[in-house]
Amino acid sequence: MNITLHTLSEVVAFDGQTGNFNITIKQHPRYVDMDKCIACGACSEKCPKKVPDSFNMGLNSRKAVYIKYGQSIPLKYAIDPQSCIYLTRGKCRACEKFCPTGAINFNDTEKIVNLQVGSVILAPGYKPFDPTGWDFYGFGKIADVVTSLQYERLLSASGPCMGHLVRPSDQREPRKIAWIQCVGSRNTNRCDNGYCSSVCCMYAIKQTLITAEHITGPDLQQTVFYMDMRSPGKEFERYYEGAKAKGIRFLRCRPHSIEPGPDGGGVHMRYVTESGQVMDEDFDMAVLSIGLEPPEGNQRLAEVFGFALDRFGFAETSNLTPVASTRQGVFVTGAFQAPKAIPRSVTQASAAAAAASQALQSVRNSMTREKVYPAETDVRDQAPRIGVFVCSCGLNIAGIIDVKALAAFSKTLPHVVYVENNLFTCSADTQNQIGERVREHGLNRIVIAACTPRTHEALFQDTLQDAGLNGYLLEMANIRNQNSWVHQHQPEKATEKAKDQIRMAVAKVTLAESLKRQSVTVAQQALVIGGGVAGLSSALGLADQGYPTTLVEKNDRLGGNALRILDTAKGEAVGPWLSGLIEQVKRHPRITVLMQARVTHTSGSIGSFTSQIDVAGDTRSIQYGAAILATGAHESVPDEYGYGSDSRILTHLEMDDRLTASPGKIAAADTVAFIQCVGSRDSRRPYCSRLCCTHTMKTAIRLKTLNPDMNVFVLFRDVRTYGKREELYQKARQLGVIFIRYALESKPDVRAAGNGIRIACSDPVLGMPVEITADYLVLASAIVPNDIQDLVELYKCGRNEDGFLAEAHPKLRPVDMSVDGLFICGMGNYPQPVEETLAQSQAAVSRACVVLNQKEMQLDAIKSVVTDKCDGCALCVDVCPYRAIRLVELSPETASSHPYARKVETDPALCKGCGLCAATCPKGGIYVQGFSLDQLHAQVAAALAQHANLYEVVKE
Amino acid sequence: MQTPFEPRIIGFLCNWCAYAGGDLAGVSRFQYPPNMRAVRVMCSGMVHPSLVLDAFSLGADGVIVMG
Amino acid sequence: MMIFRIGQLAAEIGVHRNTVKNWIKSGKLAAKPTGGKRYLIAEDDLRRFLEETGFPETQIQAFSPVLHHLNPAKRPASSITLKSEASMSHHPIGSVLVVGGGIAGIQASLDLANSGYFVHLVERSAGIGGVMAQLDKTYPTNDCAM
Repeated sequence: MNITLHTLSEVVAFDGQTGNFNITIKQHPRYVDMDKCIACGACSEKCPKKVPDSFNMGLNSRKAVYIKYGQSIPLKYAIDPQSCIYLTRGKCRACEKFCPTGAINFNDTEKIVNLQVGSVILAPGYKPFDPTGWDFYGFGKIADVVTSLQYERLLSASGPCMGHLVRPSDQREPRKIAWIQCVGSRNTNRCDNGYCSSVCCMYAIKQTLITAEHITGPDLQQTVFYMDMRSPGKEFERYYEGAKAKGIRFLRCRPHSIEPGPDGGGVHMRYVTESGQVMDEDFDMAVLSIGLEPPEGNQRLAEVFGFALDRFGFAETSNLTPVASTRQGVFVTGAFQAPKAIPRSVTQASAAAAAASQALQSVRNSMTREKVYPAETDVRDQAPRIGVFVCSCGLNIAGIIDVKALAAFSKTLPHVVYVENNLFTCSADTQNQIGERVREHGLNRIVIAACTPRTHEALFQDTLQDAGLNGYLLEMANIRNQNSWVHQHQPEKATEKAKDQIRMAVAKVTLAESLKRQSVTVAQQALVIGGGVAGLSSALGLADQGYPTTLVEKNDRLGGNALRILDTAKGEAVGPWLSGLIEQVKRHPRITVLMQARVTHTSGSIGSFTSQIDVAGDTRSIQYGAAILATGAHESVPDEYGYGSDSRILTHLEMDDRLTASPGKIAAADTVAFIQCVGSRDSRRPYCSRLCCTHTMKTAIRLKTLNPDMNVFVLFRDVRTYGKREELYQKARQLGVIFIRYALESKPDVRAAGNGIRIACSDPVLGMPVEITADYLVLASAIVPNDIQDLVELYKCGRNEDGFLAEAHPKLRPVDMSVDGLFICGMGNYPQPVEETLAQSQAAVSRACVVLNQKEMQLDAIKSVVTDKCDGCALCVDVCPYRAIRLVELSPETASSHPYARKVETDPALCKGCGLCAATCPKGGIYVQGFSLDQLHAQVAAALAQHANLYEVVKE
Repeated sequence: MQTPFEPRIIGFLCNWCAYAGGDLAGVSRFQYPPNMRAVRVMCSGMVHPSLVLDAFSLGADGVIVMG
Repeated sequence: MMIFRIGQLAAEIGVHRNTVKNWIKSGKLAAKPTGGKRYLIAEDDLRRFLEETGFPETQIQAFSPVLHHLNPAKRPASSITLKSEASMSHHPIGSVLVVGGGIAGIQASLDLANSGYFVHLVERSAGIGGVMAQLDKTYPTNDCAM
């Protein structure tokens, strides 16, 4: 309701100042009236013009009048003016003729829309790299060479081959597939994309695993040709290891070229293995793992809005303000800022929302609206008067099911007093009509026989509420998705089934009750746990959004790990910025900082938590509606490579400390060596610590800058300088840093001697042993989460196997925790650099504001309720997956109103309505409103009613 | 003349997965026999054993709980 | 600031919709079109106009809840005195433009709309969803991208 979607539109002009911008949008004609289009698809079916389907990456065709994909939003067709026969050649108009609602409008014109907004977020995404023209990969020439995005469509159930993977040349299942990584990434030779696209290693692994689900049999062979496998995200390393364990072959080499395979199908490749052997191999298919490029129109966008792009064409940002463009009031997010995977994009998007709204905090809620409904009719004492509305859905339902017969049948059902057949029950005018029928006929329960409640229940609930009926006095019979669409060849049986479906719906709705949505009064205050960068910036963000915030830090100092960090990956100094941040937090009138403090008790749920906090011995109590856990992580203490036995063997942070304290002494060194993955990516900690490769690059560059003659060696397994950090790797190599790879099975051997640290390893390129004598050895030790066992128990929140706090959904809710009202940010979630921590903390602020902005929170009414039959046996308490049920002893006074001494109580804020309790209860002591056992029994009986009748007839 | 056996099946479909899958089958136009009558539940764990027994006693030939 | 539709305002104050239209056309009622048949008006301007047009005090008083209804989080009247367009432009606007309807644009829009800001989401193509809609599954959970 508070989002206006402008499709087929682009911004053409922008002026004004922060907080108040004027925007001009050019809206291209759709040629389809959005109000009339019901997405029946008749136009597309009749359209004679086929064009390559860009959604399927040109693998098949679509019509000139189209929807992008089945679940497209808005689900309204559009005419592509470049290919429409009428719009290009003046003849045809077939779609217009066949459109049942007269939605086609060839007179549609371009519109200019003027808007006033307070701030701007740019999320134009990216452009998949196009390998056309790279003749050595044969893309476009060899049919069985596809891009990874095309391959994605080949795998997809909604793709051109309906999820049955076949190769393009002969539509046969490929058995031997090769992936080539870094096509259009980490390449300054052919395309000047010097950055790493960050996502290709992981999506290639995913594609191999999904392929293995599609194609079974021992002869499936999958090979990934790579330079470095980069899986530096949460659970990514396990995913990679899992793929290796499943037999996916990972080869570190770059095939020079792809040639056509024998017999016109597949491909032929020649490559050189690590041991120097030249191999010739045929594959059924090759997938090019294409990188991410800046989106088309990025230059124009930068001109219109007046902000800077970086040298690759992505939006320029500072690592200390990761979503702010160089233009005040204009924010950038997603892959447009830098190549990144979905969770980071989602996180950054929330961060941009928080940043964009901060300046507008004083006018929050000034433009948004809330819907007001008339008072509800009390139907408790009324006999059921059911109205049944049977939707034809154009021909979607009426084409198969005899809707007239269905309507006639509905009239015979008990309590049904009114039946109507509509062309489209969901259309706006029918909605109004339903309201009128409710008033005319005194209806108090409604059955809609149409599509699925999963998409349309909310709409019809709204209709009922507009008509003064409780939204839960509705039942839908899904006669489209689960009937006419799936029984297209059996119209009679489909009609019989539809009758049963309506009978079931009527039986259920007869027993329906008005349900009240519970609401919780929101404590519009926040708690932030952890005083590192993540905690500081989220506390500041919340306070700037207007919410009083308490910041709890267990130590006596704010700043966390950042106190020891010299600069960001882009070279911005951290120290002065951090002092500024701490000052702002300390001085902010809406922030209370509690040092040497720990949360000791917590109760309540989203919107209304209460906690006791021990502050250096004193206890205080606070109330809050949402909390952000920024509990952090720390550099681990290595227990290998002689750490602790010699003062010249250091961790990263120790090296940084020395570089700050006595740079001259370090600069005088002749040789410095680094060992990567110390305590990471092994059996004990099977995750990548994400930060260390970049940290090593920065330190190595610093050393080489201090003393260009210094020998700097880096012993690594895979260099994981993802995204634009790849530039640091390039720079380090240009400065002469020497990189030597080692394998987990043959770790370097370190021995401290009088004249230096002796490091022995084997160089896989030379195939020879190497010995380095270094003045200093820096160990890139793993990042491990701080101990937060107490908080985990207090909030009952989840952690992954490595001890990092778990998110509600790794892709779509990356900063929400599984406990509603709790949010995570920073290294307590996963090791990450300052800019990602800042984006995450702003994202957590944004998500927390969604909770805190509400004065009252409405909960769904589908919740469990306890009846008088409950005797407190507590069987349900154990099965409840949400811990929403507790057992209470009744006091003598209350016991008189309840026949038993004990009973259970449910917390509606925690209950998700799953009904495990109802199915467990042996005595009907608890049930889920809207899905009571009686209602379900009634549905079962109704479903079998016809059969039961027949059965009786036979008996007679 | 014998009519072929047409089983009557009661399906309990979890709103979040199986029922959603049923909807998707529709969107994808996957055709399947029209013998099942679906009861939507908020979780397959909600299906009380008595519902299953009830279905059989009322003449169902099969019960399928999907979640 | 509040946004209204002509029909809505006409119904609230009990005049014909053409009357409201004429007021705006003639400049008597200082409302600015904002697209989508909606108009933007400063609350004080509306109140003053109603007073000047001779709506009885009682009706204007009674109108307060209506103002509330149109504009749930009404700012205290004292905090704004809007005289001209020029001064108007210095006040922040409680809405945000989001360009791009991919997963990032969608998430930003939802967060903003759910925390009290109006969103204009501009998408170049005919539907939102971006590249994520084209993906089959997502790593590392192999969840469906849809």
